[in-house]
Amino acid sequence: MFRLILALASSLPLLAQVDFATSIHPILASRCAPCHSGPAPRAGFSVETRASILRAVQPGKPDQSLLLKRIKNGEMPPSGAALSDAEVALFERWIAEGASWTDTLPAGPTEWVAPLKPIAPPLPANSMANPIDKFIAADFAKSGLAFPAPLGDALFLRRATLDIWGMTPALDATRKFLADKDPDKREKLIDSLLADKTRYAAHWISFWNDLLRNDQGVNYAGTRKTITPWLLAALENDRPFNEMAAALLNPVTADDPDGFLLGVNWRGDINASQTPFMQAAQNSAQVFLGVNLKCASCHDSFINKYKLRQSYALAAMFSDTADLELVRCDAKTGKHTGPEFLFPEVGVKPASDSLADRRKAAALSFANPGNGRFARTLVNRYWQRLFGRGIVANVDDMDAQPWDPDLLNWLASDFAQHNYDLKYLIRLIATSRAYAIPGSSAEQTDFRGPKLRRLTAEQLADSVSEITGEWRVSQSGENATYAREWELKSTPLTRALGRPIRDQVFTTREDAPTTLQALELVNGDTLNVVLKRGALRLLGELPEAPQNLFDSRQMGKGAKPLDIDVTGAKQLWLYVDDAGCYDPARTVAGWLDLTLAGPSGKTRVASLPSISKPKIGALTADKVKFEGAILAPVGALIMYPIDGLGFTRLTGSVGIGDASRSSDISPSVRFFVFQEKPDLERLLRVSGAPPTPAPKPSRDAKVLIDELFWGALSRQPNATESAIAMKLLAKNGTVTEGGLEDLIWSLIMHPEFQYVQ
Amino acid sequence: MFSNTRRDFMKASAGATLAALTGSEARLVAGPAIEPRADAVILLWMAGGMAQTETFDPKRYTPYETGLASDKVLSTFPSIDTAVDNIKISQGLENVARIMDRGTLLRSHRVGDLGFILHSRHQYHWHTGYAPPQSVAAPHMGAMISRTLGPRNPDMPAFVDIGQNIEIGAESDGLKAFHTAGFLGSEHGPFFIPDPRDAAASTRPSEYVGATRFAERYKYYKELVEASSFQQDSLRRAVDNAHRLLNSPAAKAFDLSLEPQKSFEKYNTGRFGQGCLLARRLVENGARFVEVTSEYIPFRYWDTHENGHTRAIGMKQSIDMPVSQLIRDLEDRGLLNRTLVVLASEFGRDMICEGKPGQEVKNQVDQPAVMTEPKHYGMHRHFTEAGSVLLFGGGIKRGFLYGKTADERPCRIVENPVTIEDLHATIYHALGIAPDTKYEIEKRPFYVTKDGKGRPVMPLFA
Repeated sequence: MFRLILALASSLPLLAQVDFATSIHPILASRCAPCHSGPAPRAGFSVETRASILRAVQPGKPDQSLLLKRIKNGEMPPSGAALSDAEVALFERWIAEGASWTDTLPAGPTEWVAPLKPIAPPLPANSMANPIDKFIAADFAKSGLAFPAPLGDALFLRRATLDIWGMTPALDATRKFLADKDPDKREKLIDSLLADKTRYAAHWISFWNDLLRNDQGVNYAGTRKTITPWLLAALENDRPFNEMAAALLNPVTADDPDGFLLGVNWRGDINASQTPFMQAAQNSAQVFLGVNLKCASCHDSFINKYKLRQSYALAAMFSDTADLELVRCDAKTGKHTGPEFLFPEVGVKPASDSLADRRKAAALSFANPGNGRFARTLVNRYWQRLFGRGIVANVDDMDAQPWDPDLLNWLASDFAQHNYDLKYLIRLIATSRAYAIPGSSAEQTDFRGPKLRRLTAEQLADSVSEITGEWRVSQSGENATYAREWELKSTPLTRALGRPIRDQVFTTREDAPTTLQALELVNGDTLNVVLKRGALRLLGELPEAPQNLFDSRQMGKGAKPLDIDVTGAKQLWLYVDDAGCYDPARTVAGWLDLTLAGPSGKTRVASLPSISKPKIGALTADKVKFEGAILAPVGALIMYPIDGLGFTRLTGSVGIGDASRSSDISPSVRFFVFQEKPDLERLLRVSGAPPTPAPKPSRDAKVLIDELFWGALSRQPNATESAIAMKLLAKNGTVTEGGLEDLIWSLIMHPEFQYVQ
Repeated sequence: MFSNTRRDFMKASAGATLAALTGSEARLVAGPAIEPRADAVILLWMAGGMAQTETFDPKRYTPYETGLASDKVLSTFPSIDTAVDNIKISQGLENVARIMDRGTLLRSHRVGDLGFILHSRHQYHWHTGYAPPQSVAAPHMGAMISRTLGPRNPDMPAFVDIGQNIEIGAESDGLKAFHTAGFLGSEHGPFFIPDPRDAAASTRPSEYVGATRFAERYKYYKELVEASSFQQDSLRRAVDNAHRLLNSPAAKAFDLSLEPQKSFEKYNTGRFGQGCLLARRLVENGARFVEVTSEYIPFRYWDTHENGHTRAIGMKQSIDMPVSQLIRDLEDRGLLNRTLVVLASEFGRDMICEGKPGQEVKNQVDQPAVMTEPKHYGMHRHFTEAGSVLLFGGGIKRGFLYGKTADERPCRIVENPVTIEDLHATIYHALGIAPDTKYEIEKRPFYVTKDGKGRPVMPLFA
């Protein structure tokens, strides 16, 4: 019966009437009602009743309905994201179908009861090779639809590389793949992408960071602990998912990720529902079981079946004491509970009340082979990541009904049987014909193919770096390394593009284009710097960053000696970098007794001429007074020409004035010496290779246009596009750096770049 | 066999699909209608904990002398008269004193007490109404208002945040955590102007790109996209909106150089003062919610510990002229009755009591029992029991004093305490938003005031 209805509905989509309560009302309530309701609706137009909305709606005549016209031309809603194409289509259909109206709320939950045990249904019998395709082909056949034709090679390569490495494919890889005549080249591609553990882990770690709310370096003066080293190693070494879960839930060794159970804690008092062990209950239930216990951490849930007692019982598997008193909405209840898994039927009882035994029991319960929910939840998350939509559409509500329970059950059982191997799962999905179907933004109730997905913040940033060869660097201590975006702290650009502040578990990124986001992309400093450096690099005009001759490391007070070889140096560049002063403007930093020495004797640097005209004066560091110090404003460069003076040695000290040692200045600086003008984005020595080799520089407009089109859009430009690109790139016939920036910008803002097609 | 009717099935699946389409987008569940008294809000944020006893709730004044016992000192400034007979405020606020007849002084704001003090956490609490950690990402009040009421002018960002550099070292992450629209989505997040001097630059093409190249780039970009068969209307609209905003007449509001010199100077006490001027210009041009902060950086500005007295002199100088000028200008332009101006801080201060009276929390300042040097004078601790708030416009009473604190330490609230929930409810009420207005996120309600329980303080309204 279920299948029959599905088939009927999906083969004749127009026969399925748009339901007002579930499809139209939510949009009216959230996007129109804020202005168009109440006693004084905007423009006198109210969406509160059918009678009132008929002022702008002609039932059966979408073309003559002002409401639709205003929505379509973008006038409405005037704020927030514009309605999606699918939502606009819903309105159009709803009006065409007579603009039905009900005052009832949506129907309650269906009678679907999610199974707990693993289920391994038989594979449908058909000619498909990949088991996923057997299910999907059967679904398509039942709907009377043909299996859609796959993407072409170039877009398939782009999709797979974005999904496994998190960036667009390199030019060479594209050429090689397109030229390859091997019929199995797509499978081989997936294998080779998965085999590169570094690039694979550098992409998937963002998914896991969101899920496990891990963000290295983010802290709130409370307790929070990064799990990055463990997580990166787990991904690079193909740690099976059940083992990962066990380590997260039962950290035993010093290398284990105890930060997950610790949660996110700010200094000070906390609400009963947000203690570390309640956070652990909420997070473990959401991440591993697709259950929302947030409501039930305060009171019996009114959105699902879970009770306060169950949340506390799960929390008691992670709390200091095995017995917890239930606190209902911050009021103690006098009722107590001991540890118990959320699904006792598949739970393992702790051997004792010790925390070690309770955590051990938690790990055994969640990852119990008899707990089918564990594998189903993960499989569904990966399906959503790779197809844009889960088999259970809401990945955090695994009690809800999947659109193909057999497919979900089979995938989960198969994943468990294959040792919970995450790469096996990706390979199975990515080598399916279903995965190769072109993306679509059309509304889906069952499966029609991947949903169109927008690049994530990290994919976008890494792809721009891939295309231009310009990578940002991550620094620790003396050295810096080229970094994938995930390794760096979020920026205004990546935050605007949906990189979350990982205070909560994030399982779905925001991906709608918004005006604020576009402002960052159109005019933000973060991207402007990337474009400029990227263009220079592509032109071969970005000089290698000079290496520093001296690096004081971070200093907050006192003085440090300096004694370096400057043989052959033509210039001396002194720079004081702000390493986190509360008040850099009032920080007193200086170069003390700085002396150049050579065969012809010694010279005090302060006595040399400099166009920077630094201030010379006394500075007292750690109670020692230095006269004639070169006083250096934080963030300013000072240059001394020393060419031909024959100096070989620079000695002296760097120091911070005692005058700036107060809590409201809190100095923190780093002194550098260079013999060429430093690249302020690259003060430290960058070691190692960039994540991908840089493209060969060129000044040839045709080559640049061709390579950028392939890099960004995975295709060559047509004649019209080439002509437009030429106007951008070489406005007066010659390639300019600005023109190249504009072309790169135009391509990374192109919808073909911003979406996984 | 499924017993559901076909219609039920379609209903369920259509619902699921829409939820999937919109991701976890929050849904407004409309509350009862309230007649709005204000269309816009300017929040003047005294970041770092403004000492109420040195500003709007002065107590007995004791001049400095070496050997003075710390517990004898309540205020380090004498009081001055204001335009309202029964209201006296602290010396150094003479200009604000003259406009006290335009608004209400609330002396009984009971901010949250969260134990061991952490500024960014208290600021998070004040700005969202919820103390972190929270199980969903709580939106900033400006985002809630922007989301609920929308922009007043489509070419002007609804929510503008002026004056806070968000990269301030150790507490940056704490600031980032609440300077967001949270679950409402980044569209409703703040448009940041960390330094009002850069406001014009942030709303026009970067100097480096230049207006001509910027315009040409956009023109050719559109041609390039046109030439493709793959279109995404939502992306096109977002990019168009950004360009329209940058080129709109409203963008001129960001350019402080267009302000007459004489007027500019009345505000120009520094970044905060210029921020007030910018806020006025933005509200004149249709901004919905503008926050101007004196900026939070640990141990700077209102985070007055050592040298508290001297530091308070400087802080009062930075706010006195611009705050009064802002109120005067809004009034002269006929905007004050439809603009609610709120001046508030995450907590107050006291020289002896840390946190809430009677509660033992870790002292963060070593205050000597006897003062031996001027830096001990006004060496404040954090006081969460009481803070002062100014409210102007938006239907708020004029020349009104509300709430009272004790004249002796601990200077507890003795009359009409107003919690964060109630103060927020008051702000929302002025805008016509009910305190139990809620958004549905992860299927559960999330209210504009904590648990929907804020109650507007009706005696504050005229």
